[in-house]
Formats: sequence, C-alpha cells, structure tokens
Amino acid sequence: MDIIIGLTVKEGTIIATSKAATRGISILKDNDDKTRQLNSHNLIAYTGESGDTVQFAEYIQANIQLSTMRENEIELSPKAVASFVRNQLATSIRSRKPYQVNALIGGYDTKTQKPSLSWVDYLGTYVELPYGAHGYSAFYCTSLFDKHYRKDMTIDEGLKLLQMCVDELNRRMPIDFKGVYVKIVDAEGIRQIDFN
Amino acid sequence: MSDPSSINGGAAVAMVGKDCVAIASDLRLGNQSLGVSNNFEKVFQFGDKTFLGLTGLASDVTTLSQVFRLKTNLYKLREERSIEPQTFANLVSSTLYEKRFGPYFIGPIVAGLDSKTDKPFICGFDLIGCIDFAKDFIVSGTASDQLYGMCESLYEPNLEPEDLFETISQALLNAVDRDALSGWGCVVYVITKDRVVKRVLRTRQD
Amino acid sequence: MSRTTVASEYSAEIQSTPIEHRFNPYSDNGGTVLGIAGKDFAVLAGDTRHVTGYNINSRYEPRVFDVGDNIVMTANGFAADGKALIDRFKNQIKWYKFNNGGKKLEMQSAARYIQQLLYGKRFFPYYVSTLIAGLDEEGRGAVYSYDPVGSYEREQCRAGGAAASLIMPFLDNQVNFKNQFIPGTDGKEKRPFEYLSLQEVIELVKDAFNSAAERHIHVGDGLEILIVTKDGVRTEYSPLKRD
Repeated sequence: MDIIIGLTVKEGTIIATSKAATRGISILKDNDDKTRQLNSHNLIAYTGESGDTVQFAEYIQANIQLSTMRENEIELSPKAVASFVRNQLATSIRSRKPYQVNALIGGYDTKTQKPSLSWVDYLGTYVELPYGAHGYSAFYCTSLFDKHYRKDMTIDEGLKLLQMCVDELNRRMPIDFKGVYVKIVDAEGIRQIDFN
Repeated sequence: MSDPSSINGGAAVAMVGKDCVAIASDLRLGNQSLGVSNNFEKVFQFGDKTFLGLTGLASDVTTLSQVFRLKTNLYKLREERSIEPQTFANLVSSTLYEKRFGPYFIGPIVAGLDSKTDKPFICGFDLIGCIDFAKDFIVSGTASDQLYGMCESLYEPNLEPEDLFETISQALLNAVDRDALSGWGCVVYVITKDRVVKRVLRTRQD
Repeated sequence: MSRTTVASEYSAEIQSTPIEHRFNPYSDNGGTVLGIAGKDFAVLAGDTRHVTGYNINSRYEPRVFDVGDNIVMTANGFAADGKALIDRFKNQIKWYKFNNGGKKLEMQSAARYIQQLLYGKRFFPYYVSTLIAGLDEEGRGAVYSYDPVGSYEREQCRAGGAAASLIMPFLDNQVNFKNQFIPGTDGKEKRPFEYLSLQEVIELVKDAFNSAAERHIHVGDGLEILIVTKDGVRTEYSPLKRD
C-alpha cells in the first residue's frame, strides 16, 4: 500500500508521499511522485488503483487549471478545490466503473491565510483534518500525530513530526517504500524539500 | 463489513418535549475500525426551526446535506419564507424515493417547530424515504439499538427544555458508549419557540 | 447432467444433480436476561417468552433457574443448549456434594467450573450467553457473565440475549452511573458509585424489561426475577406485554 500523509502547521500544509511504485511483488520505480499541483496554492496527493490514480488526478488538475484561466487568474480556494474533488468521486462511485482513488488535498487559503488539509476517499467521503493519512500508513501514523501534534507548530516542528512517522513506517512496514517526497504548501506557494 | 450504512458509523436522535424539540448526533467519522475525524456533525439546519439529522454513509450524508441546502434555498426564494418541518419531511421523502432503485445509504431524522403554531414535529425515514411519524422520539445510526433501549427507558412526555436536554444527552451518550462505531463527541440542539441552543458535549474519547 | 427439473407428472423420473443437505444444529429462541449484583443480594431476571422466528412457542417457559447452593443461572440463546448446560451444571453440583460430604459450592468455584463446561465444547459450542448470580464468600452480591466458549468476568451488572444491546447502556447509566457527574463541577467530578437497594434494583429491572418488550419482538409475555439473599432464593413474577 502506498503512503500518503499530511499535516497542517501554523503557516502551511506538509504533504509526504512514498516514492515507490509497486505492482504485485515488484517495485517498478523508486522515484514516483504521487502528487499533482492543481494551482499555485493547492496540491493533490493520491493513492489507489494504478491507472485510475494518475488519470483522475490529471483530470482534476486540468479542470482546476481551466477554472483559473476562465476566472481571470482568480484561483479556487482549498475548500472549493476539495469540494470539486469530492463531488467528482461521489458521482463516480455510483457509475459503472468508479475511480478507486483516495486523496489528500493540501492547500493554503490566501484570503484567510489559513492552511488546510482535506481528506477525501474513493466513496466521496470528505473531511478537513489537522493531520491525516490514507491506507495502512494511517494506522501507524495517527497515533504518533495524536500524541505529538500541536496546531501551532512551525514548519520545522512539523517536519520533525513527519520524520517520526517516516521512521516508524520504515521500522514497521513489510516492504521498502523507498522514502518519501515532501512538499509544503504555504503563503509562498508549493515547494518540494529535501527529506530522507 | 462492507455494508455501506455502517462503514463510517454514527448515531442521531430526536425527541419531543413541552413546546420544544431536541435533536442530537455524535461527531465521529471513521473508516471501518479507524477513527478519522472527531468533528463530523450529522445535524444540519435547513430553516429557522427545521433540522435534519443524517447518519449512514458519510459520502451520502455530505451529498444529501448539499442537495437539501440547494432545495431549501430555492424554496425560500420562491416562497419568501423558510421551510416548515412538515414540508421539509415530505421533501426529504420524495427526494429519497427518486433514488428508489439505487438509494442513498442514510438514515435521516427531522426535528423542528412549526413557525405558525410552534407545535413540535419529529419524524424519521428509511433509506428510500418511508416516513416514520412519532410522537415521542426517533433514533438512527449504528447505535440505533442502544438508542431505542435508552430512549424507551429514559423518555417521558412534556419535558421542559432543560430536562429534555438532559434526557436526550444521557440517551445519546450512554448509547454511543456501547457502540464502537459511534461517539468521539456529541452535539445537541434544543429548539424552543424563541431560540435555538446548540451545545457540544464532552465525552469519552474511545 | 441437466440441472433443471421440469414439473410434470413424471417429474420423479427426471434425474437431477444430487441435492446437498446441510443440517444446522443451532437455532435462536429469543428472550433476554439480566443480572445485577447488590451489596448483600443479587438478582437474575429473564422474560418468559420462547420463540422460533416469528412464532411464540410458549408465553411461560422459565429461563432462569435455581441450581442449588444459593446460585441462580441462566443460559440464553439456543434454548436446547441452554437447557443442556444448566442440567449438566446441576448434575455436577450434585456429584460435588457426593464426593465432598455435602460441601457447598462457592460462587467463584461455580464460575470457574462453568468455564470448563463451556470451553469443553470449544469446537461445537453451546450457543448461549450464560449468567450466574449469587453471593460471594464475603456475602456480597456477585454476577458472572460468559461468552459462548467460556470467557468470563465478574461484573456489577450484565444484560444478555436478544435485547442485550437495548438494556446494557441503560444499566451503565443507572447502575454504574456512567456519564453522570456532580452538578456544578463542570463535568470534572463523577457521580460516585453506590449500591442500590433491592427495591430500586427490582424497579430498574422492570423498567429495563418493559422498555425491551416495547421495542423487541423476541421479548415479552412475562418477567421472572430470581432474588438471591443470604436467606435463599426467592422468585417474583410480573407480566410483560404479550403482543
């Protein structure tokens, strides 16, 4: 199972995704980026059925970009983006072949200057959370978050907490997930940072 | 469990008192055994004194709350008044029955006061919109068995608002504590002639 | 070979694939039971309705029994298994007396022995929720509850059977005062536990069963409460809804 974790801190949202792309018993790739940038302050991270995931994420990406163009470079807020994604998945679940995609949407609302993390699953379940994860990694990470998370943490403190999660996953996960890519969404926009 | 109505868990209850009603829900949203959110309210306001409790599949809870927001907003524009509980109950019923052969997996309950007569009104539904009118209380969700036991034993007619609050709170609190899929906080609305009071309860966190 | 069977006068002659039969050794006979331990007494109550599916087989079929030695017992669920278990236990008490010069079987020994009886059929279990009530060696009320394979625990109170999920949260609230706090302490101070009197307990049991009978079709007809005190076992009967 792929790993996607996210948490909001005082001045931004941190998202981490595993680098391994697996199929069956093989690791096909060790530099797979399971995120797509939607607009300058919104990022989607995804897991699920391979094929569905990228197709869906890029469909969302295209539509959000289209919205940005149509609305004269006024970008959708994290809440609006998350609602759009949820709506797509909620429609999809009752179709002949539903997208089997779970996602975290990391965003920073430039109007209210608040970071946000949206947890959305393939059924169309949507909640805003201070921290969250999908799949098995949720079982390992939520307890660590529950104990150590504070909502006024700095980005550095957030990254320290993330490091604890990744260490735990490395210790407990049965397969090597080849490390994680870490991206930060804040007032400045979206950036990737070095993380081992 | 792959039963759609018990993937996320959750419970809601409504009660009638003397010239007042109360509606309450828990705050948990889970993914099977894993708790995901402790801030997922299942009670929504759709008129001045019209409330809807929605348990079941969280995706459908969100979808339906949005559908009813749309419909009640359009209603208000056409009628220049907010929707009555009775009317809203029929709206819920017909909306659900539209999806008779591919239903929303939810258990709605309605509670409110009639704006003209101030008469309390509560009712519940099955997932395809069959209305269950009740004089006393309505329960819904994964803790419905427990809620039936609590309400049937604690409830008495014609309670004053404060006593109704205590009764519905104790009923919900003790019911969700015996259900692994419900709990993680509760919210209670007490609706009287001249005000609506919302209270968030401190509860066990397991 | 053809799977279809054509209905005709000659249908008996038409060959079809062998039909598999599977005997289901269990059924559900409904009913619900409830035990509460007091300071110097214990009660075990059960309704007297016996059902299979929607049929009421009997409106008065006692399901709580005095098994001797000031112990009362019930095994609710599949009635035949319940009967078998209680008969076996009664018999074993008799043999215990023969072998030990009429010695009384203590509550905790009875409790452990029932575990052995239940676990002895680990791979073909008695399909019952078992409860026993009595007095411990210090004369305090005791209730022990079991799962079908013998896992057990001493408790203040326990509901079992069809309406257990309706009654149990009510007991948490009214016997152990769960979710009750001292007014004015901002929910910081719990209402302390105190033993209920026998009269209070009996009223509580009646309320619980009347509520359960109202909402559960497998519960009703009559309520039989067995009360254990140091003076022995006493029975109280009161009617329940019969619809």
